[in-house]
Amino acid sequence: MKDSPAASRLIQLGFLTAALTAWYVAGRFSAIPPLFLPPIDAVWSSLNGLIRTEEFWSAIGVTLSTIAKAYGIAVVLGVLAGYLVTRSRFLTAVLEPVISALFSIPITLFLPLFILVFGIGTASKVAYGAAYGFFPIALNTIAGLSRVDRRYLAAARALGISAFGTVRHVMWPAAFPVILTGLRIGFFIAFASVLGGETISSVEGVGRNIALSAELLEPARMYAWIVVVVAAALVLNGAVSAIENRMRGE
Amino acid sequence: MLAARAAILAVTLVAWEVAARPTGGADLIAPPSAIAQALFATVLRDGAIRSAILFTLFEVLCAYALAVAGGLVLGLAIGSTEMARRSFYPVVLLLYAIPQVVMLPLVTLVFGIGPAAKIAFGFSHGVFPVLVNVIAGMRNVNPLYVRAATAMGAQRADIIRHVMFPHMATSFFTGLRLAMTTTLLGVILAELYVSTAGVGYFTKLFAENFDPAPLFALIGILAVMAIALNELARSVERRFTHWRTASTS
Amino acid sequence: MSAEVTAARPAAISVRHLTHRFGAEGAASSVLAIDNLSLDVVQGEFLCLLGPSGCGKSTLLNIIGGLVIPTEGEVLVHGRPMNRPMPDRLAFVFQESTLFPWYTVSENFTIAFKYRGVARSEWRDRTTEALASVGMAEFARHYPNQLSVGMRQRVNLARGIAAGTDILLMDEPFAALDEQSRMVLGEDLSVLLARTGKTIVFVTHSLAEAVFLSDRIVLMSARPAHIKQIITVDQPHPRLPEFMLEPRFSELRNRCYAALRDEIRAAMTMQASPLGTSEGA
Repeated sequence: MKDSPAASRLIQLGFLTAALTAWYVAGRFSAIPPLFLPPIDAVWSSLNGLIRTEEFWSAIGVTLSTIAKAYGIAVVLGVLAGYLVTRSRFLTAVLEPVISALFSIPITLFLPLFILVFGIGTASKVAYGAAYGFFPIALNTIAGLSRVDRRYLAAARALGISAFGTVRHVMWPAAFPVILTGLRIGFFIAFASVLGGETISSVEGVGRNIALSAELLEPARMYAWIVVVVAAALVLNGAVSAIENRMRGE
Repeated sequence: MLAARAAILAVTLVAWEVAARPTGGADLIAPPSAIAQALFATVLRDGAIRSAILFTLFEVLCAYALAVAGGLVLGLAIGSTEMARRSFYPVVLLLYAIPQVVMLPLVTLVFGIGPAAKIAFGFSHGVFPVLVNVIAGMRNVNPLYVRAATAMGAQRADIIRHVMFPHMATSFFTGLRLAMTTTLLGVILAELYVSTAGVGYFTKLFAENFDPAPLFALIGILAVMAIALNELARSVERRFTHWRTASTS
Repeated sequence: MSAEVTAARPAAISVRHLTHRFGAEGAASSVLAIDNLSLDVVQGEFLCLLGPSGCGKSTLLNIIGGLVIPTEGEVLVHGRPMNRPMPDRLAFVFQESTLFPWYTVSENFTIAFKYRGVARSEWRDRTTEALASVGMAEFARHYPNQLSVGMRQRVNLARGIAAGTDILLMDEPFAALDEQSRMVLGEDLSVLLARTGKTIVFVTHSLAEAVFLSDRIVLMSARPAHIKQIITVDQPHPRLPEFMLEPRFSELRNRCYAALRDEIRAAMTMQASPLGTSEGA
């Protein structure tokens, strides 16, 4: 059962090559209606053209800044809320299940409400993304801070460390890995929800462009945008994994 | 504990009611009383809205069934051999990392604006947790059990059935619960995007007419539906995995 | 059951009529852990608390150290009542390494020094000295999870000693180690005692360890804890491995076992039945 990692890499590569080849072939022989899957070269040239336009970069700028704002708010509020809740055992026991239960409802349901209150511009996406990303961050902060190994807390008391010192030297460092996971999940949720909000109802941004391309029946352009988003997602995912692995290796 | 939660709920509702009473401009967030009224007078009364909600439920259940079946079969296939897992699991995880919502316009192009698109989108969201959990669940099987079974003369299919399947059952049921949430998410996203009929039409209608009370009411019903489905999935998970926690305590 | 507390050898620790109960009195889940226990620990002695699992010896140690407030009775350390940890008087060494995994070895020491009020200028030297005394000087910059279990526990031990307190409380510090490490560290501990005159209260399950290390062994009953017997081991520190070969060693060990045998069985039965029905055991 000792297959080399090279063998599985080969299969993955083969898979990718096969998929791309199939795409190319399908385009050549018009096997699939070009509305659903335009030929690969059409998408490629559309992408090339797109990158040169100013509106491409401004759309990306809008989306990125929306994500940054949404995530920033989610992090600050989430960590703060998580910290405050864990100050009291009673509060933790009462509020944690409430927050957890709220999270089990798809926050997407509330998107229309955000649009109603904040309008159709980026503000509603910031609010929506922040609201969605808040939950995993808050929940993980609560989990991390409330489940610090009792032995370390006992050791801190035995060493005479003050209450503040315990928070600083024991609780935060112990909770950090869990909180970091929450921050990671929160990021990808903010990322996806901003894009979702833009796709469903917006006037600008990447998501809006994808929806618009579909409305205008310009599949090549839509696919070009999709390729951009997929590439960005994969790069981000890879970067985050690499950073996490590096931190864990310490 | 229950009293504390009920108290929080009550306080929240009261504060909300007080704060949202029209103060000339703060009309966009309806007070609970107006919402309750809209719920019974408008939303539930209207046959079109009722059937839109029920239809959404129908779409969710279809998508869910497909996602579970698909995820299970595919997961068993990928997870059954080391080679398959090492090759395809990273692909699955990579796909999982892509925000699917950007495919939504494409899905509507391909499937049209009817229920097919919503079921398809719900399926593509729901299949991943099942898939990932089945594969992961098959992973940590104690090789000792496999060896013992082989020594007793079991074939590959037998091993999958008697050793790996029960082992991954726990993960599978967890996946079932998660899949319910994500399927819901997918269907809702699709419904909101396609605003020419169904639930999405009504949310758009109420939003554009700046009519908050029925909007809140409609979303409230959907939220209740979401919670109910979640609880159902959670209790199924608990029922089938309680032996696990009992034996490890 | 006090031993020879004299003017020349005063009591470092006095336990007076200690009773401790977990849970409210009368409640179904209430457990009487310690029952009217009195004990004096002489300064400069190595005292072992030896008893079956769950008998309350760790609880007793935690109460002596000020981590737990007893339901009744009191503990005096150098004449002062213990109602909270006093890191300048007592240092703890717990069973598992409680080195903080997010700090390096030397950072773990400086944390201890900082809250003990040790002058910053002394931190470096004392860390090096303490690590050297357990043979871990080159590992000052390592993180705990880069060390083996045995190495970690040695550092843990060094941290307890480095605090420079008169009294050391040790809760089964060698339990997680393999036998060879236990023996070596046991010898080191004995040398330390001879050199510094510290008072050490040591909790253990192991009969051999108790006999090898202690000046006096306090044999404890099953829960609720009281003192069954105190056995004196008349052998000066530092103790050498040869001591274990003497017939006296085996004899003492057998005496301990004979006294504890019934208690061990009682403790085992207690663990098999759920809490609340064992009060009469």
